[in-house]
Parts: sequence; C-alpha cells; structure tokens
Amino acid sequence: MTPAVEIVGLVKDFHTSFRRTPLRAVDDVSLTIPAGEVYGLIGPNGSGKSTTMKALLGLVAPTAGRCSIFGKDSLKVDSRNDVGFLPENPYFYKHLSGRETLRFYGKLCGLGGKTLDERVKEMLALVDLEDASDRRIGGYSKGMLQRIGLAQALIQEPRLLILDEPTAGVDPIGSRQIRDLIFKLRERGITVFLCSHLLEQVQEVCDHVGIIFRGKLVKEGRLEDLIAIEDQTEIVLKDASPELVARIEELVRQEGGAEVVRTGKPRTTLERLFLREIR
Amino acid sequence: MSQAATASASQGSHTGRILVIATHAFTQLMRMKVFYFLAIFAVIALASNFISLPQHEGPESMGSNVLSQIKSWSLGTMTLFSVVLAIVATALLLPKDIEDRTLYTVLAKPVPRFDYLAGKLLGVLMLIFVSLALMDLLMVAVLQVRTSMVLTQQQEMATALGWSQGTIDSMRAETEALGPNWSLQGAVVAVFLRSAVMAAIALMISTFSTSTLFTTIVSFLVYFIGYFQADARDVYLHSGEAGQGVLARLGSLLVSLILPDFQLFNVIDTVIQGGVLPLDVFGKLVFVGFYYTVFYTFASWFIFADKEF
Amino acid sequence: MRLVRKSMILLAVALVFGAIRMPFESALRGELEKSGLIPRELEVGTKQKLGQTFAAVSLGGLRTLVATFYNLRAFSEFTEQRWGDVARTFDLIVTLAPHTRYYWETGYWHQAYNAASYYINEEKLPAERRREAWRESIHAGRDFLERGIRNNPDDWSLWANKGFLLSDPNKFPAFRDQAKSFEEAAEAYRKAEATGRALPYVKRFSLYALARVPGREDEALEIARRFYNESERNHTPTLLSLLFVLEAHADASQDMEELAVRLFGTKEKAFEQLGTHWQRTRDRFPVYGVAEALQRLGKDLDIPAGENPLNQPLPPPPGPDQWFSQ
Repeated sequence: MTPAVEIVGLVKDFHTSFRRTPLRAVDDVSLTIPAGEVYGLIGPNGSGKSTTMKALLGLVAPTAGRCSIFGKDSLKVDSRNDVGFLPENPYFYKHLSGRETLRFYGKLCGLGGKTLDERVKEMLALVDLEDASDRRIGGYSKGMLQRIGLAQALIQEPRLLILDEPTAGVDPIGSRQIRDLIFKLRERGITVFLCSHLLEQVQEVCDHVGIIFRGKLVKEGRLEDLIAIEDQTEIVLKDASPELVARIEELVRQEGGAEVVRTGKPRTTLERLFLREIR
Repeated sequence: MSQAATASASQGSHTGRILVIATHAFTQLMRMKVFYFLAIFAVIALASNFISLPQHEGPESMGSNVLSQIKSWSLGTMTLFSVVLAIVATALLLPKDIEDRTLYTVLAKPVPRFDYLAGKLLGVLMLIFVSLALMDLLMVAVLQVRTSMVLTQQQEMATALGWSQGTIDSMRAETEALGPNWSLQGAVVAVFLRSAVMAAIALMISTFSTSTLFTTIVSFLVYFIGYFQADARDVYLHSGEAGQGVLARLGSLLVSLILPDFQLFNVIDTVIQGGVLPLDVFGKLVFVGFYYTVFYTFASWFIFADKEF
Repeated sequence: MRLVRKSMILLAVALVFGAIRMPFESALRGELEKSGLIPRELEVGTKQKLGQTFAAVSLGGLRTLVATFYNLRAFSEFTEQRWGDVARTFDLIVTLAPHTRYYWETGYWHQAYNAASYYINEEKLPAERRREAWRESIHAGRDFLERGIRNNPDDWSLWANKGFLLSDPNKFPAFRDQAKSFEEAAEAYRKAEATGRALPYVKRFSLYALARVPGREDEALEIARRFYNESERNHTPTLLSLLFVLEAHADASQDMEELAVRLFGTKEKAFEQLGTHWQRTRDRFPVYGVAEALQRLGKDLDIPAGENPLNQPLPPPPGPDQWFSQ
C-alpha cells in the first residue's frame, strides 16, 4: 500500500541576503507515514517542523530529496487533491462568514452544487460551528478560527490532514475539542500529520512520533516503542499486596545482576524522552 | 524546479477555479467599500453640468461646451479611479494573503499558482469593469439628457433666426458628435484596458516586492514612464540621425522593449473633444492592451511559480 | 542564485516580446498621429514648454479635465483683466486640449477683442503705448487662432473666426496691408466653406471679403452672380449692393441707373439701399458707379439735393487715430 506521506532525504537551505553560507533549515529528513496513522512531529520552535510541512505541501521546493503524498510528487498540483492543511495561527478572509469560507475552499477543490452544500453542512456540524456559520470570521475567537480551519482543511474529504501547531494559543477547552476531533478523524481512517511543541498533546493522540531538532530527525518510531526504556522491564501488577511486592524485590536481589529500580506507579514522559534525545 | 504550479489533473477546471478566486477577490474589495467612490462619481458627473462660463453667442456654440465638460469630468474621474484602483488593489491583495497566511490555505488546495494569480487579477479587473460600466451608464444618461436639451435650445434659436433646414441639420450633426456615441464607449474601453495593463504590471511587481508601499510606488513610476516609452522608442529608432551615444541608445531600447506605450491610450483625450475612434484603430488598441496584460500576467506567474513562502 | 537566473530569463523574454510588438506599436502610433487621434510632436522649446509637454503627455485621460480647471482660472484672470496671465493660461489649456474649438475661440477672443478694447480705454497709459498694446493684442489673438487652425484644419468655425477678425472694421488699422487682410479673410472663409460643415453665412462673407480685394473684382463678380441666381433668399441688401458695384466695375460704360433698377427692382429701393451702401465707409466696400447712380436716381425721384446721401457728410471712420488721439 502506498504510504500517505513519504519524505526521502529532504534538505532545505534558505539563502539570506546577509550571509554567504545558506541556512540549513531541514537536514536530510526521511520519514514515512502509513495510511491511517496519526503522526506527530515534535521539536522546538525553529527546528524545521514547519519547513518540512511546507515542503510536503509544495509551498517550498526542496534543495535536495523529495516529498510525496500518496505517491504523488509534492511539487505537482495534483498531490494536493488528497491533503488538507491547517497552518499555524491561521487567519481567513475576515470579510467572509464561516459558511462562505467553507464554500470558497470547497469550490477551489472543484466541489459545487449539492455536493458542496452537503459537505459544508457536514463540516460545520463536525466542528460544531453551525450556530456561528453566518457570522463574519473577523469576529471569531481563536478556538473557533482553529475549528473553521480544520473544517476548511477537510472540505474535499482528503485522506491526509496536515496540522501545524493545531492548538497553539487555544485555551484548554478549545484544545480538548480539537483533540477530540483528531480522534474522530482517526476513526474515519484519515491520516493525520501534525507538528507541535506541546509534547503532552502529541503523546495523547499520536501513534507515531518523530523528533526533529536543528533540522535533523533525531528519533522516529512508534510512540509506545520510543517511550519504552530498553534495559528495563516493567511488571505491572494489579491488586498486589505490599508483601507480594516485598517478596518480588527479595527474589530480584537473590538473582543478582538485576536490580529493582523503583516500584510505584509506572510513568515516563515524552518530555523526558525528548530532552534525552536532543542532548 | 519551476514546475511547482504546472497544470495537472487536479479536480475542477482552470477557468472554474480562476473564477472562484476572482469572485472572491471581487467580494473582498467590494466589502472594503470601494463602491463608495461611485457616489462621489455621481456627484462629479452631475456637478459638471452646472458649471458654465460666458462664451460666444450664436446657436452653434450654445451649450456645446458643457457637453465636453461632462465628458472630461467623467472620463477624468474614470481614469483616476481605474488607475489608482488597479495599482493599489493589486498591490494590496497578494501581500495581504501572505501576511495573513491565507495564501497557505489556498495554495495547499489543488490550486495551480497561475490560477491563483490570474484569479486575483481578474477579480480586480471585474471590480474596475463593473465600476466603469456603472459610471459609463451614468455619464451617458447625463450626456443624453443634456445633449437633447442643447439640441432643443439650438433648434429654437435657429428657427428664430430663420435658418434653413440644411443649416440646422449640419449644426445638429456637430452637436450630436459631442453627445454620447460609440467613440465615447471606445474611450471608456481604452480607460479599462489601460487599467488592466497597470494591474498586470502591479501584479508582476508585487510577486517580487516585499511591501505594498514599494509595489504601489514602483507601479506609479512605471505608469508615468510608460507615457514616455514612445519617446524612448523614437530616440532608439532615429538615434542614427541624432547621433546619441551607445548608452542612450541602449537605455532607450530597454525602456521601449520592457515598458508599455501608454501614450497610445491618449486617444481618450481626443475622443472627449469630439474625435472619432475608427473601429480598426480601436481593434488595434484592444489588441495592444491584451498583449501587454497577458504578457505581464505570464511574467508574474513566471516569478511566482516557484516562489517560497 | 535561482532568482537571479530567473530574472535574467524574464528580462530576455521581455526583450523578445518587446521586440515583437515594437513595429506594431510604432505603426499604430504613426496611424494615430496621422489621424489626429493623438497629438503630434509638441513644440518643445524653452524649459517651461518642456514642463508643459511633460504634464500634458503624462496626464492621459485627465488632460481635458485639467484643461477645465485652467479654463476656470483663465476666467477669473479675465475678470481681473490680467491679460498676460490669460494668454499664458490659454497656452497651457490648448496644450492640454488641442482639439477643443471652444478653447481656441475663447482664447483668441480674449486677446483680439477683450484685451484690445481694454487698451483702448486704459487711461493710465500714454496714447502711443496704448495703441501699441492694442495692436499687439490683436496680433497675438490672430497668432493664437492660427495655431488653433494648424491643429484643427478641418474646423470650419476656427477658419470663419479668422475671417471675422481680418474683416472686422474695428481691427483694420491693426493690419498694415489692408488688401492682403481682405484677401486672407476671403481665403479663410473659403477654407471654412471647404470643410463642408460651415453655416451658410460663411459663403456670403467670403464674397464680401473678396469684393474688397483690389484686382480680384472679376472673381468676386462671378461668385456674386452665382449667389444672386441661386436663390431669392440670397438677395440681401449687402449682396445686391456689392453685385451692383462689381457689375459697375466690370463695365464702367453701362447705364448705372438701369443697372440699379434691374438689381433692386424699383428706383426707390435702389436709391435707399445704395444710399446706405455709400454711407457705410467703415466697411471699406468698393463704390464703383454708386455716385453716378445716386445722382441720377435722386434727380428722377425728385429728392432735394441736400437730402441725397451723396451730399451728406460721411461718418468719420472710427479707429485708433480717433481712439488714441489724446
């Protein structure tokens, strides 16, 4: 099966007028997202997340390497038939209402007539903006903007959704609504590629993660594998009495070579992993 | 690298998408209250009716100056409006989309970059066209009413003086030439064409400029220099005779090859004064206008095709 | 680097496309100039003129509008009798709108008529200088009008105005060679008529002017006869009187009284209208045979000698000699 996203050896240099040496924003990044996955790309600001996404959308041309969406080269317009994009902090045309916005983007995708009417209705219901649909976007709150942005990205039923910092600047409730939406989309089989510097969120929704730092992809894999600690084994017991725990610890001591690191509630965080990887 | 926007099998037709973007740009500008200008125009067109100065007596000159005046005021306002709007609106639309990041959302859809540019340009031109059409309608109406008033007056005076029918007819024909006619419509089309060329130039400049202000200033400069393109061409074509230096020759060649010749559109002034614009000349003018507009639009696309955001 | 390369490509393409369109543009411009749709090379001389041309050229579509505003300015300059300013403003106006008859006519009229009569009555200046200013205003008006004609050779009204100016009795003394003025006036009227759009009186005026050119009486006679035979409507007193004097000039030996009766119908009418003609000295019409006719008609009609216009004092010709005597 063709992967939803395939990035091979992507390099992107930016020329600035003041410096002779180009600024390398993305350095040999390769990643593959199979269809149906939710993939999170994490990294601090300026690490190359957005540039990678822009390259995938054909907004910037790679210096080297290539990107493709469902097997179609990102530099070709038809690759964008199957992708929806929500940029970071999007603004839409303030003079349009929510409904007009969706109709505009729908028409850009070649939708029209009844199909368009139905899609617009469906999308407004999905992002829960039916009540505000006839208000001018200029009066929308941050969270509403983000949701109309999602609806806009999904208008032509793309199989891939690209979200750049989908919850940046959104309050916790709005943030939760967006997270719930992503879950809904995953259920529908839509591939989601998101980037964020909010690690907890990524941990919550993603199946796969990649960590990007200073343009390099430093770690990539299934979230569960990544946060597993290789030289440790976790035994998670339920309803264990303190005596039982003491006996197990005793057993370990007798065995030698192994040691009990800690007992208690199992927990590691993506954050810790992240910090370890970029050190 | 430049195939970022090559046409391909995306859903929907080019024309359809260009129209969607054009309609959108049109609505956007309209909701910026551009049409308020039309109210000002109405006042000007009506006011031009009421300014009168003493002049020669005699039925043949009676009231005919006011007809020229209505035309110069109306077409003058149309000129100002169309050129300013063509430059400012075009210079505004692209940077605004980039700044608001709405450009990302549009280009992330299956929209070839050419469609995007052509749509924006067409939107501006639609707005100018609709505005000019409304102004034209008003001007023709005012002119029609006023012409028939002048004709009645002249008729009365001529009859009182006992002029022959032949004389009255010749005077009538002269006055009617100053009223609404096809040449005048041709002049309005010329006003539109010139603004179309200007919009395409502003579009081209805005594809590599970094600010609206820069685009606007450079566009106006181009507009004024365009009026002297013909002189540069003359310098080049006849430089052998005058013996200009190589540099002057080269400079004049560059100017005349790159910039449009706006002096051609000065036929507008002659038409205002009752001149006749023959159909074949009009056709050639339209052709030149299209040539410029299409060229500068494709030039904009060439720059914009692999621009990075 | 890529941007530089692209710019070079774009420049090259622009040059190629420019080279393709250049012959077409150049030909179209030639065509427009030829048909008068865009003004030909403007007279560029002084720096001031250059500035004017610059403005005029780059005001495409706005030129007549700007001309309207200058016209308002000229009007207030006129009401304040600042004649130099009026002339300068009209120079500008016609640079902007060279095809508007109204501006040429108004500009010439301000100078040749308004300014000229202003100097007649300007009492602050000594007589000699007033006379010179008067003469200069008329000549400036004529020059301006002739410039208008050069720009609009098909405009009958401008030609006709030149005729008016040159055959206006109040302006005669401003032109040294009177015969030449009449000849030029006749030519101007003829040109007006040749446009095919002139009002009918222009044709008559052309004859009136020609009749006053010494040596061209035969030509004038032919035209006068044609008019006379053309229609009863043409039998105006002036035409009849001129036909009379021209016929008398052609054959001085004929019976003048008989000629007068043949043309005017009755002796009474002939006596009355030839009498008026005799007294119209201001217009400087020829009077061949008039004295003889009046003499004999007066006798036949039993008019007392004292009441015969022949024996009454002629009105003195108004003119600068009289205006500028003090």
